[in-house]
Amino acid sequence: MQYFERTTKSVRHRLLFLFAGCTLLLGFIYWRTSLNVNSSFAAELAQIPVFLSPVIIAGMGLTGIIYAGGIDLSISSMIVVAGTVFGILFDHGAPPWVCFLGCYVTAVGLSTCNGLLVRMLGISPIIITLAGLQFYRGVALILADTLMPNFGGGLSIQKAAYQAPAKEHAAEILAVVVVAALAWEAYGKTFRGFLALGCSPQACRIAGLDPGRIRLTSYFVGGLFLGVAAVLFVTNVQVIEPARMATGFELGVIGAVVLGGTNIFGGEGTMLGTVLGALFLYLIGQAMLYAGVSEYWRTAIAGGVIVAVIGFDCAIHRRQKLLDELR
Amino acid sequence: MIRFLLIVLRALRARPKLLLPVLFAAELAILAPISGVQFDTAADFARSGRLYATDLITQSAPMIVLAVGMTAILMTGGIDLSIGAMVALVAAVMARFDPGPNFWVTAVPLGLLCGLGLGWFNGTLIARLDVPPIIATLGTLFLLRGLCEVLLGNEEFGTFFDVPGYTWFGRLSGSLLVIAAVFAVGGSWFYRSRLRRELLMLGGNRVAARYAGIPVFRRIVQVYTVMGALAFVAAICFTARNGSVSATSLEGLELQVIVAVVLGGTRVEGGNGSLIGSVIGVLMVAVLAEGLRSAEMFHSDLLPFKIQHLKYVLMGGLLVLGVWVNRRHVSTAG
Repeated sequence: MQYFERTTKSVRHRLLFLFAGCTLLLGFIYWRTSLNVNSSFAAELAQIPVFLSPVIIAGMGLTGIIYAGGIDLSISSMIVVAGTVFGILFDHGAPPWVCFLGCYVTAVGLSTCNGLLVRMLGISPIIITLAGLQFYRGVALILADTLMPNFGGGLSIQKAAYQAPAKEHAAEILAVVVVAALAWEAYGKTFRGFLALGCSPQACRIAGLDPGRIRLTSYFVGGLFLGVAAVLFVTNVQVIEPARMATGFELGVIGAVVLGGTNIFGGEGTMLGTVLGALFLYLIGQAMLYAGVSEYWRTAIAGGVIVAVIGFDCAIHRRQKLLDELR
Repeated sequence: MIRFLLIVLRALRARPKLLLPVLFAAELAILAPISGVQFDTAADFARSGRLYATDLITQSAPMIVLAVGMTAILMTGGIDLSIGAMVALVAAVMARFDPGPNFWVTAVPLGLLCGLGLGWFNGTLIARLDVPPIIATLGTLFLLRGLCEVLLGNEEFGTFFDVPGYTWFGRLSGSLLVIAAVFAVGGSWFYRSRLRRELLMLGGNRVAARYAGIPVFRRIVQVYTVMGALAFVAAICFTARNGSVSATSLEGLELQVIVAVVLGGTRVEGGNGSLIGSVIGVLMVAVLAEGLRSAEMFHSDLLPFKIQHLKYVLMGGLLVLGVWVNRRHVSTAG
């Protein structure tokens, strides 16, 4: 319970809302699947980790970064570089575990590199990672062209051993990572440091913490999560295509984080919220499908939900904010 | 040569504002010959230079138009991530109309109305409901992209070339005229009225701006609404050149515009901004892209990878470098 007392009231309300929403949507999907002989609720549930695990895991890493007052817009490009490394290793005949390790280490390294750049250059994280979004995709394309002979823009990976993490073990990996991360957040010291930095860097410094170091740690920890997400993402796609892979992925992840109640300016939020936010966005799309709405409406509904929920939330807490401003 | 560089460097230290034009000139000097501009005789230069300028300007016209609005938004400390989707949606709405003489009295006014409405919606979310700009426009980005998909499906709508007189906007004269008109209006509004100072003040310190008597909420809504109108203009420039629109066209445009504007010396946190800098920023990005495209065509065996892929790397590096240099010059100035 201490976990919830640490958060603010608005975050707790958001968690409650998302939890109720997810339950309702699951109930609705259960009802619709029980009506139809061709669809089963269990199959629908089994689908969730396969599609959702990269978003949830990358989102949890990003939550830590946003807590600490940073942001990372370049996650999709980092995943692309990690995927390209995976493809290169595969192309050179490396065994599966070497490919997974290479993919993981690349993602962790790039995220740490972002943190180092933010710390050393002193430019706002939005700019650094916006540049990274372009830079890393270029790096991935150049790497793929240079290190893979006969690379024609896409590399197809059709071996079961190389696709095991996403196709067979996604649910287990997702469960382990989520439980471990929530326990770490609830009982560990690291994430409290992030929250402190996001609330007030000055107070952090006066309390004897090193803001630059905490910021760097937040990017490193975000990388640890991003690595898992990258492995799951890369092993799920059929073809590794550096030019087009994962475009717009970062926006979906940020959407889930923000919907989960994390303050985009740092200092408040929970990882649990991010998990529920991602789940809510996915379930609402599925529920719409079962209600007979066309597949094309999916993106529009995701956007509408983000705008409506956050707009409503901000409008409710507006008076408090205006009063604070006057004080 | 070295002495010349020293003179340039000294001049730059005296006037840091010259840095951007000098960088642009250096970029042009390197990349224009690669892109096929010839310097042998005056006639050659005129012909090839005209071709080059046509390509450059018609291609970057939508971005220049959007950069004007984005500069104003960044000055107030906001950001608009939804412009790419907004341009695509306005184009999609116009694409659903019959291409005939009636297009000018039905689709075009409706497109303008659509742009204004979308911009006003963004502004209202941000000013009246107090949603942080990056989140509000991220949400509308999804919303508008989704509406594009609903309107167009997986098809590509390409009826714009059948509209009488429409392709004129895709040619050099049309693009130049549109850019000039946007600049005449925007520039005079910016530099001849209090608006620029008010926007800068808003970005610098919102509470202080309110106490100084600036109608904060109204100004924010106005800035985003103008962005919507500019998205409509950009949609016309884009469709007049491309002739077609699909649900995924112009994805990632918002980030390119932000890169260009920030490169031009506008601060993302607000409180600083320059229109001319933004245009130079857009042109720098366009010259880079054009140069690399021609290098790919004429010297493709120079490097072991596709030269065009260098574009991403260079753009990322350029952005960090530009911001870092700007930041240093601000901090030395006090």
